[in-house]
Amino acid sequence: MSPRNARTLRDGLTLIVLIALGLVMLTPLIWTVMLSLKSNGELLRSTANAFHGPWTLENYGTILKNSQVFRWLMNSAIVSGCTTIGVLVLSSLAGYGFSRVEFPGRDALFLFVLFGLAIPEQAVIITRHQMFSFLHLHNSYPGLILPGLSAPFGVFLMTQYFRAIPKELDEAALLDNASRLKVFWKVLLPLTVPAQATLGIFTFLASWNDYWWPLISATRADMFTLTVGLASSQINFAQTSGLGYLMTQAVFAAVPILIVYVIFQKYIVKAVSGAAVR
Amino acid sequence: MKKLLVLALAVLALAGCAPKDSRTHITLQRFFGECRANVPKGKPPLRNPDGECEVITRLLDQFRQQNPDIDLSVNIVAWPGYDQLSAEYAAGDPPDIAIMHQSAMPDYQKRGLIAPLDADFRQAGIDPADFTPAARQGVTIDGHVYGMPFDNWMQLWHINTALFARAGLMKDGQPVLPHSPDELIQQARQFKARTGLPYLIQATANEQASYTRNLYTYLMDQHAVFFTDPKHIRLDTPEARRVVDLFRRMYAEGLMTHDQDYPAATQAFLNGQGGVYQVGTWMIGTFTSESETPGHPLYRAYTVKPYPMLYGSAPTAYVDGHAWVMPTRPRTPAQKEAVLRLMKFLQQHDFDWSRTGHLPSQIQVAQSAQYLALPHRRDIIGLATVGRQLPHDIQRQFAISDIIGDEMASAVTGHKPTEQALQDAQRRVNDLLYNLI
Repeated sequence: MSPRNARTLRDGLTLIVLIALGLVMLTPLIWTVMLSLKSNGELLRSTANAFHGPWTLENYGTILKNSQVFRWLMNSAIVSGCTTIGVLVLSSLAGYGFSRVEFPGRDALFLFVLFGLAIPEQAVIITRHQMFSFLHLHNSYPGLILPGLSAPFGVFLMTQYFRAIPKELDEAALLDNASRLKVFWKVLLPLTVPAQATLGIFTFLASWNDYWWPLISATRADMFTLTVGLASSQINFAQTSGLGYLMTQAVFAAVPILIVYVIFQKYIVKAVSGAAVR
Repeated sequence: MKKLLVLALAVLALAGCAPKDSRTHITLQRFFGECRANVPKGKPPLRNPDGECEVITRLLDQFRQQNPDIDLSVNIVAWPGYDQLSAEYAAGDPPDIAIMHQSAMPDYQKRGLIAPLDADFRQAGIDPADFTPAARQGVTIDGHVYGMPFDNWMQLWHINTALFARAGLMKDGQPVLPHSPDELIQQARQFKARTGLPYLIQATANEQASYTRNLYTYLMDQHAVFFTDPKHIRLDTPEARRVVDLFRRMYAEGLMTHDQDYPAATQAFLNGQGGVYQVGTWMIGTFTSESETPGHPLYRAYTVKPYPMLYGSAPTAYVDGHAWVMPTRPRTPAQKEAVLRLMKFLQQHDFDWSRTGHLPSQIQVAQSAQYLALPHRRDIIGLATVGRQLPHDIQRQFAISDIIGDEMASAVTGHKPTEQALQDAQRRVNDLLYNLI
């Protein structure tokens, strides 16, 4: 077999394996969508016929007729959007400071920030809840957004990214009489767009999917995020008597995420492969 | 621009002149889901009229309509809702009235988080003597009433009578049920031999509460005292070993289903893949509906009975229930009066709620011809009298149930020897109770 044929064969086999793995990944997602198109009564008796008709949009109608669902969608969008913008601003500024500005205790402070990566949310949630109670921040947008702004990973990522940018660029701009802010804003920040996109996407996804903090901070239905709101609308034993509706909720909650993915997929792929972080 | 500004100011001024809402505002918190799409305001549900969500949504609509002076906000939370309720307490903002499992009430009562209602009930004309014995026991702690019981529920034996008939286990139109562990094994073997199917359908994966309820019921059947005091459980006992060994034997002999979670077990029963399904009162409506649908495997082949007593003769069963409680918080006399009016309303509509399958909490309803005319209710209503809860000074009953179910699952499926599983359950529960503040 010639080297060219061997390579074609290898590529073909790789493609087959990748398609097979892709199908394995896709199967539960397709199954979820199919189940969402079946009536709850039918699924109560059997889930085996998920891929056979009759189909119905009844579950989607039920979700859309819920008077609160668009409010929850808006709450999620506001919380995720503001958290993402906040994290990007704070992490970029902090990253620039840690990588470019000399000040006493800088390394110790950076280490202190990195400790945040090792502390799980569960360890701080009670004190955080009490603090927010004291400040009357529960059932409010600030109450849902502020905890997400503390992002040690973002600071770390942006610091490393800024460190990888040659200092000569700053020095050249400073020689041209640019202020520090101007150097940051006009010279360095545009170079960090891939990292910003990566951080922004991960922050948005994490915030959109967050369940625990919104569950205990937003206890009023009008302040629920989509995840908490959809969970609250499930009947008891939904996995049996309301399976179609349950799956519809999963699809409904995933749609905005899919849209974000489609728009930013180039950056997500880069982020996952590590290409965005030099 | 100026015109716009003037217009905006005018709108704001008009908004400021809006009449103040003089109604009394109260907040009710509940689970049972959201089904407004299925229950248009002022109209009966479009489908599933006996579903928990449909009934409570309709009832609260009716209350609003009949009490225009009360502004009732309903906060629907994900089941079981205790994370949110605890968070609300921590933030100093609990609801005015909340649904709670009777087994969870001690957790809140011991911390003074729910209000005793004896005096308020007297004032509102609610007499706890009207509650069924099981319901009264469920809301009475340290001699005081802490909630308006809404129902009682328990596990039952849901039976496929067509398969029982094939197995020769029907007599005079009624299923023949065992009276001892040996009889249970013998009947289960006969069932399997004649139908080729397992006698018992039981969710054994991801649904351990069912095991715990079985254990509680059959310990009560043996008059075993398994909570010696509020901080100690005794499970390493001959009585507990008897129960666990019985289910272990049935599992090993293939007399009960294997590796099914709750939805799979429900599907198995609906599709005629076993004789008896041990599940709660809430499934009566679903199974009855299936038994009335021609062509479905359960068509004319369903009945439901309390657990057969295998060790003693006096009927008993472990029961739990839902209750409405009044969280402790500052509220005006008008708000308190509104909460009590709502509780009274819910008491008066006990029959409506009992259509969900749960047992009524009011004696008058339990004895009414209207209730007894509902399918299968005559067979199970006795449990409203003989059903028993755990002692009401036992806290963390949800967590205890998880631990026991976990260990029982290990023993029944053969992953642990019975003795070890029961010793582990006892140690883990006692550790939990010891560490309570």
